Amino acid sequence: MKISINGEIKEFTQESLTLKELLDKMLFGKGIAVALNETFILRTTYSETNINDGDRLDILSPVQGG
Amino acid sequence: MKKWKLEGKEFDSRLMIGSALYPSPDIMKNAIRASGSEIVTVALRRQSAGEQGSNPFWEIIKELGVTVLPNTAGCHTAKEAITTAMMAREVFDTNWIKLEVIGNQYNLQPDPFALVEATKILIDEGFNVLPYMTDDLVLAQRLADMGCTTLMPWGSPIGSGRGLMNPYNLKVIRKQFPTLNLIVDAGIGKPSDAIEAMELGFDGVLLNSAVALAQEPVMMGEAFKYAIHAGRLSYEAGAMQKRDMASPSTPTVGTPFWHQFA
Repeated sequence: MKISINGEIKEFTQESLTLKELLDKMLFGKGIAVALNETFILRTTYSETNINDGDRLDILSPVQGG
Repeated sequence: MKKWKLEGKEFDSRLMIGSALYPSPDIMKNAIRASGSEIVTVALRRQSAGEQGSNPFWEIIKELGVTVLPNTAGCHTAKEAITTAMMAREVFDTNWIKLEVIGNQYNLQPDPFALVEATKILIDEGFNVLPYMTDDLVLAQRLADMGCTTLMPWGSPIGSGRGLMNPYNLKVIRKQFPTLNLIVDAGIGKPSDAIEAMELGFDGVLLNSAVALAQEPVMMGEAFKYAIHAGRLSYEAGAMQKRDMASPSTPTVGTPFWHQFA
């Protein structure tokens, strides 16, 4: 399947992954928040959230801001 | 100077400061410290895969022990701003959100319609919404009616350093909403701009570029600390009325060298 992660297309051999599996696989750190197809996903639901072909993920972390 | 309350929390400093655009992380840390600010704005951006280590920026902010005010900078729709606010609540563990929805790319003017739309939903979701807004009285009324207890009208466009473009509008908002917390957010260029905002009776000032882009950011942070303190004291002390004519301050009774038969 192909997933867009932070604007970049990534290919996976699996047909479906949970969000938790995907974040572990991609080595994203702690202190992040995730939106799936522009909808916020609660941290406590990562294990139950399935990621499928064509999904768009935004994975954000703290940066400087004004 | 006595403490003040913002969204139920007590603070000494009335300066809210941004964490962006400093020449280095060390200068940012020292400038924030020198400014005396206890509220620092932060943002969220995409993280690269493989960045499993710590986040040095975030470590510095935590070390400063300040109250964090996340923003929704860069959002152009209510939906984007709502999603970003929810993500910020989870990462920063705060209900506070500096709500920005940009309506025009040239002057980064906030979109009042999307701002109202997003504010309503976020307040229903339990957020403390601090809206970055234009200096529009009717918009202020709408946001206050929805439950905002803090309003943050712009002084001038973000990063322009043009000071207060329209003091009249700010003055009217102050007069119409005497009990709300009013913060001038954006456009401050010099400490004298901050003094002007404080002398209008604003409760605080939020700025970033004015300190970060100064030749000496740490020194400028300190300059703003004193300016905002002076501006607030001046407002509380009550300035004298302007007069058209001169009026001597030295007593005229007993002035020497005046004689009846001269």
